[in-house]
Amino acid sequence: MTATLYALTTCPYCRMTKKYLDENDVEYDAIDVDLLEGDERAVVVADVKNLSGGTSFPVLVIGEEVIVGFNKAAMKERLGL
Amino acid sequence: MSEQADRPVRRRFASGTTVDDLKAYMKPFAASLGYKFNTEEWFVDEVLASEIEILDATGDVYCPCRMRTGDPKEDASIVCPCIPFHNVQFAAMRKCWCGLFIRTDVEDGAELLGVIEEPERGVEVEVPVCRVSDMAPGSVRHAKVGKRDIALACTEDGFYALSSVCLHAFGPLSGGVLEGHEVVCPWHGWRYDVRTGTTDHPNADVKTYPVVVRDGCVMIVATA
Repeated sequence: MTATLYALTTCPYCRMTKKYLDENDVEYDAIDVDLLEGDERAVVVADVKNLSGGTSFPVLVIGEEVIVGFNKAAMKERLGL
Repeated sequence: MSEQADRPVRRRFASGTTVDDLKAYMKPFAASLGYKFNTEEWFVDEVLASEIEILDATGDVYCPCRMRTGDPKEDASIVCPCIPFHNVQFAAMRKCWCGLFIRTDVEDGAELLGVIEEPERGVEVEVPVCRVSDMAPGSVRHAKVGKRDIALACTEDGFYALSSVCLHAFGPLSGGVLEGHEVVCPWHGWRYDVRTGTTDHPNADVKTYPVVVRDGCVMIVATA
């Protein structure tokens, strides 16, 4: 199961989440939302709102599960680390 | 940034604004709201460096952990320090969204980095609104607590908080004159006792809120 990480390049927790996933050899698709432009960004921001109920980052999607923020305990549990 | 491409970037801060400039500007602002910079200095520097990047790209210091949506009202609510917009939630979390700021009574900010926990609905929260030194006895000011508009009165015997909306014609009590324990609505002169929210008009009392003063900070108790 592939995880998807919605992130901002400016956000310290997004960087911490990426580092944590990398260190644990978790495969994931990373989307840096602030690097997207125009319509593409609007679409992705709308997706993030639907998934998480807001526009706060990081948003990590694992199957049906959505984790908002750098939450080690939740990632551990959902990813079976 | 794409949304800025066809017009010049308007800036709220001078070109060349540095992390230290932001610190100098934000420190007293946060203090008046009952917050201080996180005790983890590396984290503060990292967040503020990100904010400088965002400032140079967009013209203002938006929260680095949240995305601008293009909706002016939503975007205004993520300009750092965004504490006034989210003061009930942050008071419960004891920090701002990203943890750049923590409540003044928190000793170790490291514990508050990371997980974002929303307060349970209905929980009572002490929400800082100003410093004691911000108000002179005999004065009234406006306080926004979550979505509530509150009139905060500083009387000779302490602080009192009541709904700012006069039930006569919805005039702003926070813009009224305080006479002893009575605030006089600036629109048509209805008078409310700030201790009880009562007025001499029948059945037109307004809600009052408990006020707590600690460490020079005035806090209004409200439910999340």
